[in-house]
Amino acid sequence: MAVDTGNNTLIGKPQSRIDGPVKVSGQARYTSDYSFSGMLYAVPVGATIARGKLLSLDTKAAEAMPGVRAVFHGGNIGKLYRASFLMADLVLLDEKRPPLADNDINYFGQYIAVAVAETFEQATAAADAVEARYAAERPVMNFDLLRGTELKQSDHRGDAVKALAGSPVKVDEVYSTPVQTHNAIELHATVAVWEGGNCTLYDTVQGVGNHQLVMTQRLGIEREQMRVITRYLGSGFGGKISAWGHCCLAAAAARNLDRPVKLVLSRRQAFESAGHRPATQQRVQLGASAEVKLVSLQHDYVNTTAMVEDFTEYCAEASPFLYSTANMSSSSALARRTIGAATSMRGPGAVPGSFALESAMDELAYQLRVDPVALRHRNEPALDESMGIPFSSRHLTEALNAGAERFGWSQRTPEVGSMKRDGLTLGWGVAVAAWGAGRFASSATVDLRADGTARVSCGTQDIGTGTYTVLAQLVGERLGIAMDRVEVAIGDSNLPAGPLSGGSLVTSSLVPAISRALDEASQRLVTAASLLPDSRWSKARPEDLEVVKGRLGLKANPSGPALSFSEVLQQTGVRSLTGTGLSDGTILEKPKLSKHCFSAQFAEVTWQPEIARLRVSRVVTVIDSGRIINPKAGRNQIVGAVVMGVGMALFEGTEYDPRKGVALNSNLADYVMTTHADTPDIDVIFLDCPDFEVNELGAKGIGEIGMAGVAGAIANAAYHATGIRVRELPIRIEALLKRNQTGRELKKEPWQTHPTTKTKPQPHRANDSPDAPS
Amino acid sequence: MDPRTTLLDCLRETIHLTGTKKGCDHGQCGACTVHINGRRVNSCLTFAAMHQADEITTIEGLGEPGRLHPMQAAFVEHDGYQCGYYTSGQIMSAVALLKEPCGPSDMDVKEYLGGNICRCGAYPNIVAAVQAVRRHSLL
Repeated sequence: MAVDTGNNTLIGKPQSRIDGPVKVSGQARYTSDYSFSGMLYAVPVGATIARGKLLSLDTKAAEAMPGVRAVFHGGNIGKLYRASFLMADLVLLDEKRPPLADNDINYFGQYIAVAVAETFEQATAAADAVEARYAAERPVMNFDLLRGTELKQSDHRGDAVKALAGSPVKVDEVYSTPVQTHNAIELHATVAVWEGGNCTLYDTVQGVGNHQLVMTQRLGIEREQMRVITRYLGSGFGGKISAWGHCCLAAAAARNLDRPVKLVLSRRQAFESAGHRPATQQRVQLGASAEVKLVSLQHDYVNTTAMVEDFTEYCAEASPFLYSTANMSSSSALARRTIGAATSMRGPGAVPGSFALESAMDELAYQLRVDPVALRHRNEPALDESMGIPFSSRHLTEALNAGAERFGWSQRTPEVGSMKRDGLTLGWGVAVAAWGAGRFASSATVDLRADGTARVSCGTQDIGTGTYTVLAQLVGERLGIAMDRVEVAIGDSNLPAGPLSGGSLVTSSLVPAISRALDEASQRLVTAASLLPDSRWSKARPEDLEVVKGRLGLKANPSGPALSFSEVLQQTGVRSLTGTGLSDGTILEKPKLSKHCFSAQFAEVTWQPEIARLRVSRVVTVIDSGRIINPKAGRNQIVGAVVMGVGMALFEGTEYDPRKGVALNSNLADYVMTTHADTPDIDVIFLDCPDFEVNELGAKGIGEIGMAGVAGAIANAAYHATGIRVRELPIRIEALLKRNQTGRELKKEPWQTHPTTKTKPQPHRANDSPDAPS
Repeated sequence: MDPRTTLLDCLRETIHLTGTKKGCDHGQCGACTVHINGRRVNSCLTFAAMHQADEITTIEGLGEPGRLHPMQAAFVEHDGYQCGYYTSGQIMSAVALLKEPCGPSDMDVKEYLGGNICRCGAYPNIVAAVQAVRRHSLL
């Protein structure tokens, strides 16, 4: 039976989170909140060089300190295995080298030992007392990534090089984004408890199932010996998908000492050894005709990766299908640097990629002297030109129109610095983005209980996105019961295998699994009818019965007598009845339709040239991501993504000392993130167009798409206000000061309000952009 | 008590009041905010041994499910969180703010809560929750 979408009371309505009261009262238990009798504390020791060899370790002083139970290192921690990468299991692991595996040092902070003591203070002091000798080599730290790097082509159609050469209007620029660190406020933590060869890990992870698989391999035990629990996660943003080295250190220390061990990374350690978004350098070349049509698009990029790990930040993921163009190509390469392993961070690839492509599109709009929104409309594709297949749904045109209307875009005057308000110069910019939609393979069970409650269980987790609440909505809706009658059990690898919280795929994966679990439970309720005392039910043929909103009735008489599931179970003496549902994954399938979500971002900045002060004052974000199950949590998530996008545009970047390879701003004061006071007015529009190709409710993901496009829109707005095209994020005051005194008269040719075929193209000259080096 | 033990670690690891969170251990994120004698303090920046006779209020002392403090209830109503990890600190700061000379505007509240980072970016909802409580308490 399909989910009733027409007459629902819970789905699509703003719902307060069911886990709200425990979160606001300090009762929600996060990983580091767990403590056990006899528990020890572990503190890792990190290398103080970025590249070279560990020659020797002296742990004697540390071992003799009060309360210290052990200092483990490569020589005494026991075997830690390299995890295999099995696509069939979709195991995600971005640092494959096990900790302490050899004496090679590949990045600053790489673990060389771990101190374990009775208290956190004792373990911290012991870790500080471990002495290491190194043979240091020069770190590899330059971020001019494209220079001298050979790129490998990944996508192409037509002949982009030739088409560009023949284009009357061209853009050819390089855009850079820095290393960014997730900085979930919850520190990475592992509490490891062994009981007779079985290990329970309370861990800060975005996928309890993925973590179970990886840690089983790392520790050399069987799957049934490993249980992973993450009841609440203090957010992750991709940084808590991989099982980082400290998880192994905690688990191995607890096994060796036969006592529970708690290990909480410091904020500095999280910067060094628990992942980051890699730095990128991207060259975008666009060629356009006089008719404002893209004739060539090339997107070539290099991202940093660790010396012994491969991680690709797919910056050009959306470039093959975002716009219509006959000639397209992209290529990429990795640049090995002596920094820790890179990993996924919110909107991996799409976020830095959109900044580059959408900045280039804005530059093209200025060259063509056409409105940036009109330029995008003009190049809207009818189908996914990269695969030659239709989109399952794509409402980017509507998104741009809705955003432009809400933002007041028609009031925009395109000349740089031409808009003023309250003595400030305004800049208005736009950018669009795309993110994949689909499903992870998932299972879930739903129990209907005689007391009228239901229990849904799934080995997924809520990382702050509202998964607890969405599950209660899905089950409550179908059974016609209030959300507080639904018990939600998640965050435990013992539960039916559920989706990883990554890629914005949890809700779209769970919708079919829950629906099928409820189908099976409903079918069993029909079967149970034969046991009912009333012959009206027990004599009825199963095919004549149906369950609607949790009530058993006759198909032929929908408004007639019906029994609630609780009445059926009570009258048949059954306590509970279970249905299991599976949904298939889409990750490895060959698509017949191109499934994506889209966004359009409109940003306003204010600019005070006298003091070179740039602020983001307003963002309108339009999300085309199918049906929104809980608009209250959904809107919050998009607002949060915009907040993070403001940080990306103006503040964030991990800075490394090129001589030592150490992250210099590895704390929350020097790695600047958006605070309350930096937050602009944020307006969120959900187009709410269901995409039934993804699942029966038409729900797609929203976690990543809300961030993609924000930095590009802000950078474009900054150009509109200042005349300075900043192609390296974050947009720092230095970049704005550099050109502040040399404001340049802009060309006075007329602007096109709508693209026409009469445009006179502006010839491209390399030194013709307002911010060309003078 | 180990003289090196911060008030934060004492609350969490010794007394097992784990509602107060550690986000940076440097006084930079505000997740560990508690009230000491009615004033908000980053509990990671002060040693436990310095507070023998002080009155300390943590999130657990404000209210619990079923009898939430008005500020806690407002955070639920306005969805003033996502992951909830930094929420204790935001709420402890917000409750302290009610007695501080904070101006009436949203921008005033944003400045007064500037030391409490929410990486999920639920800031507008947090400000809405705080302002709803302030408006109610004026009536």
